Amino acid sequence: MRSVLVLVAVLIALAGIGPMLAPYDPAMIDIPNRLAPPGAQWPLGTDALGRDILSRLLHGARWSLGLAFVISVIGLVIGTLMGLLAALGGRLMDWTVMRTTDTFLAFPDLVAAVVIAGVLGAGTSSLVFALTVTGWMRYARVARGIGLSLHTRGYVVQARLAGLSPLAIARWHYVPSLMPSLTVVWTGMFARAILGISALGFLGFGVQPPLPEWGTMLLDARLHMRSTPLQMIWPGLAVVACVLSINLVGDVLRDALAKQDDTA
Amino acid sequence: MIHFTLTLLLRATVVLTGAALATFSLLWHAPGDPALAIALARYDAQVPAEVLEQVRAETGLDAGFWTAFKTWITPLLMGDFGQSSVTGRDVWPDLFTAMSYTLPLALLGLCIGVGIAVPLALLATRRPGGWLDRGAVAVASIGAAIPAYWLGLLLILLFAVQLGWLPAMGARTPAHIVLPALTLGLGVAASLTRILRSGILEARGQPFLPALRRRGVGAAAIERSHVAPHAAVPVITVFGLELAFLLEGAVIIEVIFARPGLGSFLVGAISARDFPKVQAVVILTAILFVLVNLAIDIAYRALDPRIGERDA
Repeated sequence: MRSVLVLVAVLIALAGIGPMLAPYDPAMIDIPNRLAPPGAQWPLGTDALGRDILSRLLHGARWSLGLAFVISVIGLVIGTLMGLLAALGGRLMDWTVMRTTDTFLAFPDLVAAVVIAGVLGAGTSSLVFALTVTGWMRYARVARGIGLSLHTRGYVVQARLAGLSPLAIARWHYVPSLMPSLTVVWTGMFARAILGISALGFLGFGVQPPLPEWGTMLLDARLHMRSTPLQMIWPGLAVVACVLSINLVGDVLRDALAKQDDTA
Repeated sequence: MIHFTLTLLLRATVVLTGAALATFSLLWHAPGDPALAIALARYDAQVPAEVLEQVRAETGLDAGFWTAFKTWITPLLMGDFGQSSVTGRDVWPDLFTAMSYTLPLALLGLCIGVGIAVPLALLATRRPGGWLDRGAVAVASIGAAIPAYWLGLLLILLFAVQLGWLPAMGARTPAHIVLPALTLGLGVAASLTRILRSGILEARGQPFLPALRRRGVGAAAIERSHVAPHAAVPVITVFGLELAFLLEGAVIIEVIFARPGLGSFLVGAISARDFPKVQAVVILTAILFVLVNLAIDIAYRALDPRIGERDA
């Protein structure tokens, strides 16, 4: 548990103060020193335009982690609202919301994200829109499932009989009960967003160069695979490290939740 | 069961209609003028205003969203995917060629994935918590965090660039399928191992197993007729997820390995703003996806009668 908290702290620090630790300007072009190997001057070497790879990685954390955070939180809010609407809005509302959810689930989400981002035109706002539109459904399903199970709980029935409005019941009784499970879903969606951002960046539909994003960096590095293979290792390693630590946090939270449910 | 199946079928129809609407409205709201794109593809550089009007009338683009949607969906229901707005050729033959590259890749990837995951999960669950189990979980967790495109690049780097054993780009020879299929298969193996492992462990923890044992049912018989079917239920769900993974993986992996399959077809069409092609791929994936999930829901119900209709 403690090691997981350390991991989270490191990730937050990486996105927060990472750019401040960068030794160079990530956009500074230095053609004479292009494709330099790792060494004292450039710890991880330089890319095809002579930009310092370490600086680009550190600045890239803000894009990859920051955008992923934003995307997964917007998805959480939309999904929770949809799920609550389905659970509390009566049968017709439930049917409508759940079929809408199914419709969005009818596409493999990354394929849909590629199409949406690509059709709307490459760029950061299309990227956020594409990954949010394809990333709220799991929250909605979980929120609805738990919401329905709360209907017959004593305290919820009491609140309803006491004349509390549905909105107040949702706010004071549903949302707190949903939070633990939704947090576990959120870790999964956060990891998914990191993978999605870098995948779209890699396909050229995401964050646009010269902004340092990990997927876009890989796209550049790929062209120089023969001369400087190491250049391709770093951005990928950064993605793996982040996704792996977030998944670990998710696993620990899920186990803790399961234990709590057992004792309850 | 019949009532249940009919409900699911109705639901699938509603979902597919919604999916078609969503697809169409995305492209309807896309920046740029689709009629201009079609007209440009037909008449090259200079497009007179009356040609543009003619194209608009033909495609129903001037008559508002619903008319245009109807003009688009009617031939589609007959299996006609229309013409590419860039080359003017029929979409279907090109789409079919692309699928003939993707299908073997997806199947081989799935085989590799299952071939690794099943033995690994069985080995791991022999002694839960043992070093083999922990190792398998660790490897699978790391594997699940590795993006497919990076794994593909690493495999190219190792086997094509450094060792020179296998070809990386294109699809000329059968050997060209090895690296992309391996990339896909390792990804499948990573997620499948974890799900299989927890499925088997959960099945072994069922309270009816000690009862069976005390009644004198042999260990092998318990594994075969009680643990295996129980562990199979989550595995069926996984195939739905794996299908999504295979389709997504194929899109990116084909681009990396320059394999002319569905993924390259889709990305190429998006870049060229060839909307009829994009629509065709999206609708086809949605149909495939919905049908497979429908089959899974029905199989689920058949395997485990406890699953209720409301939350199926």
